[in-house]
Amino acid sequence: MANFKENIKRINSSESISGRMPDYDAIVVGAGNAGSAAAITMASKGLNVLLVDRADPPGAKNLSGGVLWGNDLAEILPKWQTEAPLERFIDNKKIGFLTEKSSIVIDFKTEFFRDNKIAHSVLRAKFDPWMAKKAKEAGALVIPGITVESLAIEDRTVVGIKESGDTITANVVLLAEGVNPRLSIEAGLRKPLQDRELSVGVKEVIKLSAQKIEDRFNLTKESGMASEYIVGSLGNLNIGAFFYTNKESISLGIVSPMEELRRNGVTHTYDLIEKFKSHPSIAPLIEGGTTIEYGAHLIPEGGIDSVPQLYGNGYMLLGDAAGLAFSNGLVLQGMNYAIVSGIKAGEAVAEAKARNDFTAKSLAVYEQKLGSTYALKDLKTFKDIRKVTNNPKMYTVYPQLLEGILLETLWERGQPKKKTRDVIGEAASKLSVGKVKALTDLYGIYRRM
Amino acid sequence: MLKIAVMIKQVPDSQDITIDPVTKTLNRSQARNVVNPPDVNALEAALLLKDKEGGEITVITMGPPMADVALLECMGRGADKGILVTDRFFAGADTWPTSYTLASTADYLGGFDIIFCGEETTDSSTGHVGPGIAEFLGYQQATYVNKVEYEEPFFIAERDIEGATETLRIGKPAVVTITLNANAPRNPTLKKKIEAYKKGITIVANKDLKLDPACIGLKGSPTIVKDMKTVADPVKTPVKPGIEELDKVISVLVERGIVK
Amino acid sequence: MIDIKEKLGTIKYDVDKEYPHITVDDAICAKCPHHFCVMACPAQCYTLQNGKLLFNYEDCVECGTCSVACDQGSVTWHYPKAGKGVVYKQG
Ligand SMILES: Cc1cc2nc3c(=O)[nH]c(=O)nc-3n(C[C@H](O)[C@H](O)[C@H](O)COP(=O)(O)OP(=O)(O)OC[C@H]3O[C@@H](n4cnc5c(N)ncnc54)[C@H](O)[C@@H]3O)c2cc1C
Ligand SMILES: Cc1cc2nc3c(=O)[nH]c(=O)nc-3n(C[C@H](O)[C@H](O)[C@H](O)COP(=O)(O)OP(=O)(O)OC[C@H]3O[C@@H](n4cnc5c(N)ncnc54)[C@H](O)[C@@H]3O)c2cc1C
Ligand code: SF4
Ligand code: SF4
Repeated sequence: MANFKENIKRINSSESISGRMPDYDAIVVGAGNAGSAAAITMASKGLNVLLVDRADPPGAKNLSGGVLWGNDLAEILPKWQTEAPLERFIDNKKIGFLTEKSSIVIDFKTEFFRDNKIAHSVLRAKFDPWMAKKAKEAGALVIPGITVESLAIEDRTVVGIKESGDTITANVVLLAEGVNPRLSIEAGLRKPLQDRELSVGVKEVIKLSAQKIEDRFNLTKESGMASEYIVGSLGNLNIGAFFYTNKESISLGIVSPMEELRRNGVTHTYDLIEKFKSHPSIAPLIEGGTTIEYGAHLIPEGGIDSVPQLYGNGYMLLGDAAGLAFSNGLVLQGMNYAIVSGIKAGEAVAEAKARNDFTAKSLAVYEQKLGSTYALKDLKTFKDIRKVTNNPKMYTVYPQLLEGILLETLWERGQPKKKTRDVIGEAASKLSVGKVKALTDLYGIYRRM
Repeated sequence: MLKIAVMIKQVPDSQDITIDPVTKTLNRSQARNVVNPPDVNALEAALLLKDKEGGEITVITMGPPMADVALLECMGRGADKGILVTDRFFAGADTWPTSYTLASTADYLGGFDIIFCGEETTDSSTGHVGPGIAEFLGYQQATYVNKVEYEEPFFIAERDIEGATETLRIGKPAVVTITLNANAPRNPTLKKKIEAYKKGITIVANKDLKLDPACIGLKGSPTIVKDMKTVADPVKTPVKPGIEELDKVISVLVERGIVK
Repeated sequence: MIDIKEKLGTIKYDVDKEYPHITVDDAICAKCPHHFCVMACPAQCYTLQNGKLLFNYEDCVECGTCSVACDQGSVTWHYPKAGKGVVYKQG
């Protein structure tokens, strides 16, 4: 990887593309959320688009939690709420801490979410093929079941893709290849992945009847619940966990930073999810359910620091491949970021085509467009969020403090009651860190959140 | 230049089929459709023949309109043309009208030097259709074939006969049915898939074949399903390989009344 | 506790018997100071037997974790070809 910088420089210097007519206006690698959104955007503007995915049907290798916020999707597929294979619309969001024996959760149920039904739980193996079908209907040529092997690069410009010895050419190649972007890395368009920018997500889908789900979580036929937990009690590891309701199943899983796993070094990722499932607050929620699918996937959590150069001569990076995902322990979002990056990249290609210029200079509008959306803005605003999500006190010290306070105030043990002020004081004095240190630390968290 | 046809059927992926615990019927609703596995071997045998002798491969399937992707998949692997035989008149066919309709299609397309079929399907597994086509067309036939070569004017077919190989010399035109895992099928390539999707497939309906409606589809099907029984799962007793647990094997066999 | 093997049984695979998409270099693994891949891989593709690393690609869910977890340069990582490998029904 010594010549990584050199490669970037080579590819970014704006020289015009040589001669021949390319096969397509644009080739999109990957029919995940980003790729399909880009293909739909471009094809509906009349561009000649090829969308290639390594899974058949497209999307069958993808996995999310997943709650999809559909604001951007609505821009390209206005009827998504009635047409897409969705699970439940989320009107109940919970966030909380799990300690060894307790759970402390904020339970937020709101009419606001119910009004526009913008957040839905989805299962990607069902949702993604639908989006790819929409790309086909918009006029893109969608080819499933093909793994693109490498990029064709000529004269410091990405001119196409290679597979089985053949080269298919395009004015621009949109790399929407997900969190483990082999093509981009191998071509030196972005750095190899590092521990600090990744979490390992391990998930199970647990079958439970609609009736049980609705009764157990106090839901209607269509509404759903999504919870996120900060967990510091599973075998000396500080991780996140999620629990979402689908129509007739539960999606649950753990999100474990690679750095944490390496630091710990003795816990199997597949044991962590089992520990989460057997937590006293979680086990009763899945009682009677059977696991119908297990799976795992990486999550980009590097924030703005790991967003690479987003474009160059003849190429753009989209979605997870560009590190465009957001998480802060309370929310985990990537599908909406992928979709908005797909739309903006698609628009940029259409404009570049109008100028007939696909050099880095011309494709720079992509970054400008993306910069005006929440996608890049969020990552910039929360540029220090990793200091919070990596702060071990968030997982152990503070949840224990809260647990202590709640036990003192809510647990009747036949002892004289204390004033809340004293309870907090005493709980704080039991902290493994000093009070002042804890206060400065909390202030730091507050500032970065 | 050989004129080659490959008959393929789209079947639900057997890995995806579950048995409904209550009704005991097959649940195919979650199943992904795939090309019947031995038909992929049949296609590969045809491609190997074409690689050596030259020629043109036409893949043919009778099925619903959504079976077009199965043809495109085969074209992505190297077949030249795809024919979808589809019509409401063809629906509900058992193996007799299926063979008849496919044979008529081959005839309608001008006949072939050789027609490749799979040994049987994973969803009905009668193995009738290949020989059926051969009989309706009056072609020579060889079943359970692993490999086909051409020595003008004959085809040389290697046949698997459990523990040995039989080599047959058959005349042209011929139908061969190819066994599962007879060869290692090549992967589709991007370029060939793009060409396939661009070229598309050709639809053949009964207005083309002009077959008597009484001889095709449900009406032309002599089979009547009288009854269906669900077979209970066999009880499995795990034993270690080797002779160590022979006693256990014997006692289980005695216990179940299989040996006395 | 559901055993990981049982969970892997819930996943559908179309295994490419001709092409192992991930390979490891036994010589490098033999000298590895941590065998972190064994802990990190969510599909138990990496196991230790009498101190020797064993790798099996058949159960791989193509998550990419080992490509980062292994910092010793032992893992050669590719995606499977032609739609082979994991096929999620839920995702
Ligand atoms: C456990 C977990 C929980 C999550 N929960 C949420 C959530 O609740 N809400 C949310 O918004 N986000 C969530 N995310 C994040 C979200 O899944 C991703 O950010 C999002 O899917 C990124 O979309 P993408 O299109 O960039 O990449 P992907 O969806 O990963 O798509 C990449 C595509 O490229 C294809 N591909 C890759 N390489 C090639 C190649 N060489 N040739 C052909 N095709 C190729 C892949 O097959 C794939 O289809 C979660 C992620 C995980 C892992
Ligand atoms: C007892 C029984 C009752 C049935 N009843 C009905 C019924 O009432 N209604 C109904 O719709 N179906 C019915 N079927 C299913 C139907 O008979 C078969 O699906 C069909 O005729 C093909 O037979 P097969 O799948 O056994 O193919 P096989 O004979 O096992 O197939 C051998 C080869 O023939 C070729 N082939 C087979 N079918 C096709 C095709 N459609 N297109 C192209 N090539 C093909 C392939 O190369 C295949 O590998 C029944 C099946 C059985 C066993
Ligand atoms: S971490 Fe790498 S070198 Fe170490 S055992 Fe695993 S694969 Fe081998
Ligand atoms: S890619 Fe993931 S599942 Fe596959 S071997 Fe590596 S860590 Fe295991």
